[in-house]
Amino acid sequence: MLGVSRASTFGIIDKNRAMAWLQRLRRVQGGNILIVFLAIQIGCVAAALAFPSDFRYLASANVSVMLQAIPTLGLIALGVGALMIAGEFDLSVGSVYTFTSIIAAALLNDFSVSAWIGAPIAVAIGAAIGVANGLITLGFALPSFIVTLGAMLFWRGMILLLHGALSIGFEPDPAFQYVFGGSIGLLPLSFIWLALFSVGFHVMLQHRRLGNHMFAVGGNREAAYAIGIRPAQVKLIAFALAGAMAAISGVFSATRVNSITPVGGAGLELQAIAACVIGGLSLSGGRGSVLGIFLGAALTYTIQDVLLLMRAPGFYLDIFVGALIVGAAILNQVTRRGAPS
Amino acid sequence: MTAPIYEARGVSKRFGAISALDGLDFHLGAGEVVGLLGDNGAGKSTLIKMMSGIVLPDSGGVFVDGTPVAVQSRRDSQRIGIETIYQDTALVDSLSIVRNIFMGRELVGRFGFLSHRRMRDIAVDVLRTTVHISGIDDPDREVGALSGGQKQAVAIARAVYFKRRILLLDEPTSALSVRETENLLSYIKRLRDENVSSVLVTHNLYHAFQICDRFVVMSHGRKVVDVSKADATIDDLTRYVVLT
Repeated sequence: MLGVSRASTFGIIDKNRAMAWLQRLRRVQGGNILIVFLAIQIGCVAAALAFPSDFRYLASANVSVMLQAIPTLGLIALGVGALMIAGEFDLSVGSVYTFTSIIAAALLNDFSVSAWIGAPIAVAIGAAIGVANGLITLGFALPSFIVTLGAMLFWRGMILLLHGALSIGFEPDPAFQYVFGGSIGLLPLSFIWLALFSVGFHVMLQHRRLGNHMFAVGGNREAAYAIGIRPAQVKLIAFALAGAMAAISGVFSATRVNSITPVGGAGLELQAIAACVIGGLSLSGGRGSVLGIFLGAALTYTIQDVLLLMRAPGFYLDIFVGALIVGAAILNQVTRRGAPS
Repeated sequence: MTAPIYEARGVSKRFGAISALDGLDFHLGAGEVVGLLGDNGAGKSTLIKMMSGIVLPDSGGVFVDGTPVAVQSRRDSQRIGIETIYQDTALVDSLSIVRNIFMGRELVGRFGFLSHRRMRDIAVDVLRTTVHISGIDDPDREVGALSGGQKQAVAIARAVYFKRRILLLDEPTSALSVRETENLLSYIKRLRDENVSSVLVTHNLYHAFQICDRFVVMSHGRKVVDVSKADATIDDLTRYVVLT
């Protein structure tokens, strides 16, 4: 060791240190996707600095639009992700997203119920729909995929039955509008809300008994039961969270654009599952992290944004996001197999 | 012998057309190690699961310290002081060793937040002191990456840490090496000296003979033999298991 010159020793140490740091990052839950996310961000920022007039990634308008778009999917994905960790799916979140925000809008427009009261009612209805999904799934021992596929169509139909196909305006009082739809400089408050909800979900999943039980029940239901956890109770709470978060996302979006399209939520359920899969959640449950869910949602919109900035035709988005989903799944699978053993 | 701390009287359990337990009487004394023997399908695992509260009997009664009790969930059996090492280990593959050990019984601080460091320290300690199994010194490893023997060691560590009065072991040595098995058996003996009772389900009569005070042989959900060690030889036991 003494024979090695100082300079080269330092070189080796730095390289080792960087590798060790990278290894540590990978061991963090969601670390893989964090590396991919950072790499893409660095690439985008570099490209924006190199070609400021052609690739306006750092333009304030672009940053603001992107930060406003992420919470819609992010909020839904948090609920869907927690439910996936507990071992179940919810395909009805897109319909619930629209249905509940229309309820809030109808309360405001037709019954003059303030958004401060209407929005919590909408969220409660979202949670109730989630509980109903859960009760049917658990009560009849059915796959939640089937039950919530039915619920997706059912509530989509109910929107048209109760409201019709016309758009509906949602213009809450200025205070509500600011708190849930305003912004501080470039930073939309909805993004801050997403950050707060993410922290809340992270604390629940990693630092509370309830979250630990969600992982246990999703990972091995029989084992969890044999050790004294009540799987049905845990799953029911997760279903309620998924429904509630869909409603919360719906109210945020309605507040942002001040109107609701009855077909607006279609496709969000699959985007939410895709964001979770990109973020490293297992489709069979028991595995995942809030960091992964958050980055999965953010990455989807980053790619969408980059393609828009490059004026790529819309179908490129599907191609890229599709490739990203499968690529992320492969990455997670390969690195899991190679996990230190 | 002292009065039994646990007693099941006339318990029956049917799964469809199959009678897993058929009017079974079973009792366990304080500080007693009972070997539960019998061929596959005799109802041994069902009895263990019933004692653990995850299979509910159709009829019959359970008495603890002579008082009737209703064991309707794992929580009820926990309250009695029963810990179980299940045959299929009952571990969650996607979670770490620490999380598996404390699953459902997480240690929390004053505000209900999980005490990750405390649980980790205890897990390290339990793994090091009670079950000497190579390769599981890192409690943050995922259980899914462990070998069969290592998984069994985690299940043993969990039961051992929470054990109070009764330890149920359903084929706990099937994936263990010879030395690991010896360690576990001598540990059961040590527990007996601390007045912890055990029920050991095994196909290995030599293991059973080595540590058990009494043998119960089951067949088709019934108890066919109940004999203390003093009154039995290995040959007798073999004959009972094979012929009944």
